[in-house]
Amino acid sequence: MSLFTSIREMPFREKTAWAMATLLTAGGIFYFDKVVSLSRALGETAPPIIGFVIAYVVLIIIGSIILMSALAASSAREAEAPADERERQIQDKAGHWSGYMLAFAAFGALLNFSVDGDGNMLFHLVFAGLMVSQIAEYVFQIILYRRGV
Amino acid sequence: MAKAPPISNRIRELRESHGNMSQAALADSIGVTRQTVIAIELGKYSPSLESAFRIARVFGLGIEDVFGWDAPAAE
Repeated sequence: MSLFTSIREMPFREKTAWAMATLLTAGGIFYFDKVVSLSRALGETAPPIIGFVIAYVVLIIIGSIILMSALAASSAREAEAPADERERQIQDKAGHWSGYMLAFAAFGALLNFSVDGDGNMLFHLVFAGLMVSQIAEYVFQIILYRRGV
Repeated sequence: MAKAPPISNRIRELRESHGNMSQAALADSIGVTRQTVIAIELGKYSPSLESAFRIARVFGLGIEDVFGWDAPAAE
């Protein structure tokens, strides 16, 4: 099966999971590249920069609107239909597992803060945990679509 | 891979014997996506009881004429 056929045969919600996982990964790389560069320049953990956070959020919102519109236009019927029983199970399981990841990341960030007291690092770790758990939710969805619920 | 449920089915065979009904047509008639019908046929997903009844009704059969339980009796 060619890549094109494989993509065409994908359920709409798997396509959106691929699109969102890719977009969030790109957004996360953009954001943390800025944070790491700034931290290196400062010689310490960069403080939370609200401008970076806003830029990240705006990038994700605009990107997701463009991607979702393009996908919905190419599969209008599927896009309008509500998730069926199998898709709801997939979404529930993926959300459940990503929730554990977020909790694990938040706990790790707090543990790190209790050791070194770096509030800036606490912010970045929690924000990274949010990003990673969201990306993981889409990755879990893709896995469940491909391997079975 | 997720462990396949011990449920077999004759959906493919029944589709073929009902005028080569497409997976999409069956999916439409029971209110799921075509990919879900594919997953059910391949034994990768066990449908809800409601969907199993809907599938059986599409073919004018009872649920046990469409689905079977393949696990040993002691399980």
